[in-house]
Amino acid sequence: MPKEAMISGCAASAQAAKLAKVEVICSYPIRPYTAVMMELSKMVANGELDAEFIHGEGEQAQLSVMYGASAAGARTFTGSSGVGVTYAYEVYSPIAGARLPVQMMIADRTLDPPGDFGSEHTDAFCARDMGWIMGWAEDPQEAFDNHLINYRVGEDPRIYLPQFVCQDGYFVSHIPGKVVLPDQKQVDEFLPPLKMDHRLDPKKPISHGPQIRPDQGDALELARAMAMSEVPKVVMEAIDDFGRIFGRKYSPFVEEYMLDDADMAIFIMGAHAGTARTAIQKMRKQGVKIGMAKLRFVRPWPTEAVAAALSKVKAVGVVETQTSYGGATQGGGLMFEVCTSLYDLPKRPLVTSFMAGLGGEVVKIEEFEYIAKHLAKAIKDGKVCKRVHWLGFEPE
Amino acid sequence: MYLIPEHKRVPFAGCTPAPVKEQRMMITGNWRTYRPVIDREECNLCMNCVAYCPDACWQLSQDEQEVVWNSEYCKGCLICVNECTHGALTKAHELDFEDGVVRLEKPF
Amino acid sequence: MATAVQTQELSPIRRIRDIPKEEYYVPGHRTCAGCGPALQYKLVAKAAGPNTIFIGPTGCMYVANSSYLCTPYAVPWIHAQITNGGAVASGIEAAYQVLIRKGKWEGKLPNVICMAGDGGSIDIGLQAMSAMMYRGHDALFICYDNEAYANTGIQTSPTTPYGGNTTFTPPGEMIPEGKKTFPKDPPQLVIGGHPAVKYVATASIAYPVDLMNKVRKGLNYKAPSFLHIHAPCPKGWKFPEDKTVEIAKLAVQTGMFVIYEWENGEYKYQHKPKEYKPVAEYMKLMGRFAHLKPEHIQKMQAFIDARLKAPGMPVEIPIPPPRAEA
Repeated sequence: MPKEAMISGCAASAQAAKLAKVEVICSYPIRPYTAVMMELSKMVANGELDAEFIHGEGEQAQLSVMYGASAAGARTFTGSSGVGVTYAYEVYSPIAGARLPVQMMIADRTLDPPGDFGSEHTDAFCARDMGWIMGWAEDPQEAFDNHLINYRVGEDPRIYLPQFVCQDGYFVSHIPGKVVLPDQKQVDEFLPPLKMDHRLDPKKPISHGPQIRPDQGDALELARAMAMSEVPKVVMEAIDDFGRIFGRKYSPFVEEYMLDDADMAIFIMGAHAGTARTAIQKMRKQGVKIGMAKLRFVRPWPTEAVAAALSKVKAVGVVETQTSYGGATQGGGLMFEVCTSLYDLPKRPLVTSFMAGLGGEVVKIEEFEYIAKHLAKAIKDGKVCKRVHWLGFEPE
Repeated sequence: MYLIPEHKRVPFAGCTPAPVKEQRMMITGNWRTYRPVIDREECNLCMNCVAYCPDACWQLSQDEQEVVWNSEYCKGCLICVNECTHGALTKAHELDFEDGVVRLEKPF
Repeated sequence: MATAVQTQELSPIRRIRDIPKEEYYVPGHRTCAGCGPALQYKLVAKAAGPNTIFIGPTGCMYVANSSYLCTPYAVPWIHAQITNGGAVASGIEAAYQVLIRKGKWEGKLPNVICMAGDGGSIDIGLQAMSAMMYRGHDALFICYDNEAYANTGIQTSPTTPYGGNTTFTPPGEMIPEGKKTFPKDPPQLVIGGHPAVKYVATASIAYPVDLMNKVRKGLNYKAPSFLHIHAPCPKGWKFPEDKTVEIAKLAVQTGMFVIYEWENGEYKYQHKPKEYKPVAEYMKLMGRFAHLKPEHIQKMQAFIDARLKAPGMPVEIPIPPPRAEA
């Protein structure tokens, strides 16, 4: 019987890993994701979960252990935050290129310098070019669900790609929310055991990853790109099945909230979408025709779904909780992909970026009202006043 | 959506089948300028050549009566000649032999 | 009901004639003619047998062996980063423990062998190697030591000897000896500091039966084991390619490389010379030492003499005093 619990994102992730019957886990402590590993170690110690719990010597080691264990054919789980995510960077491409469906939970955290435990998407975002599936959760329930969906998609024989399952540090990882925990039978129905032909097995020897010539490199990389392009189809199948088995129906890629009759939209991902939701409800009562497009997958980027959602409005405020210093917008990196998604539309909305929540700063309802005001002005003027705003630092 | 030409076909995830007895895609016999030559009268089957060849090019025969040389892969390093305990192995110019120098159809 | 994990028990080889015939490191690899590391790989693979998985951190034994898209490994093998051989091996071992336990794979626990160069073992790979030793994985870590980062064109590594000419330690007016630092001692880094480790040994391609038996012994222990294998490199050390085994023997005869086992806290020596030859005899055969002056050779001799007398390594036979000239 499914049961309801009031648990944090970290605890929800641990529950998901347990129900997914992960086989090799590698830990290393760093705030704020550490609690996942603390939960899992308890489950292993008391026999609730039969897995190898390896104490990695660092984050790069965690991912390296995952690489080996996944290559041997085990279902793997690891995680990190902040500079831990960037320390492990060396191994991201090797894992993805070796087509190993490793899963990494990221409770994101602002990058040093200096130490800052607050949430920011930059850590995981840095790795978006490495060929992993990547997406964010808004709350502990979505975090839990995303873990199962990502295993299902990543381990699909048409895909075999690793996944970053991300959630905002503290806002999701630590604040409890309602999570419906399914029973094992439901999870077993949704998630079949991992099967890999390209695993290391003395009964069927292979050489995994020999040196190649430069003229062999492009073919391998095209294969990786093609695998990624197969992901959306598999995601949609998984989401359908998920809804059928667990009763929760997600939009696979972009959740459209009050967008159909909206003039303007907030484009956002992660925890602050929850605040945006409340702000939009409030503004709607005041007659402001605003909606939200909430992004669930950063990779593969759902170009069509983003274009479809945002073409409904006249102005878009992209809320960015990550940085891309010196980038085209002098703000974050989400903006680049939104603009690219809209580029081919016969009629493009106005787009402007709002840097919010950086360093882990809270994003208040008033900030969304500020955004709405600027979008309304942009619609009236027929142009945006500037490309990027840093909320809390604006002159007016 | 894309056309992958024949010569650009690469195995899935860069995983190749393991070789069984030898790796046909890396034939190294054409590297050598000298080859070891065995005097079977002198050979006492000390097994040094078999043990010390980095390329496993000396093997004890099936009937264990002699050591057999692999001309397709021998790089001509001559460690075997240097380590032979009974002077049964000497070196000779590769080009002195009719079958001298394994020729590949094309470079690697 | 969990399935008990069973391990293999490999029997010792009595003499060179008994060396198993089957090759698991087969002909057809792009290593240099006379390559010491290739020779040790062949011997290790033979000793380990078919129920084996090799991990190959980047280095000569990765790049040279697998160029291009083909390898000489008849058993499963996977590439690892030069940084993480120990970690990847740990992951593979752990995976097999749980897969066997859960009945998802049938058979005895495969030999898990990380084949790392000196850099991948005790320089950039040190952290991962040490952690594997610490965590107690049932796997073997081999440091094949060609005393340089050879694959990238011969650069100094922490096992390059004092005075070794490499492309990062060229001799010059300011630094006449080229390399000023003395090398790390790989087995000593492992011994004593890792409680889970029961067996550490050194071996040389010069003594193949000893080498293979140590591989088997290390694999038989249900614990992490560490092997330091001396594997001379004709290209890097600058000597003719037919002299690889000869150089390896001379290294042992001069005390430049000591063959021993450390097993459950006790040292045992093998192939110990009755009398040590002066290091100059070894050094003069290699171009990498050609630039050294007598005072440098003396320094090397003094270092070797002191190392042979180090605690835990009692030397019974008197060592020749440092000579005045090479």
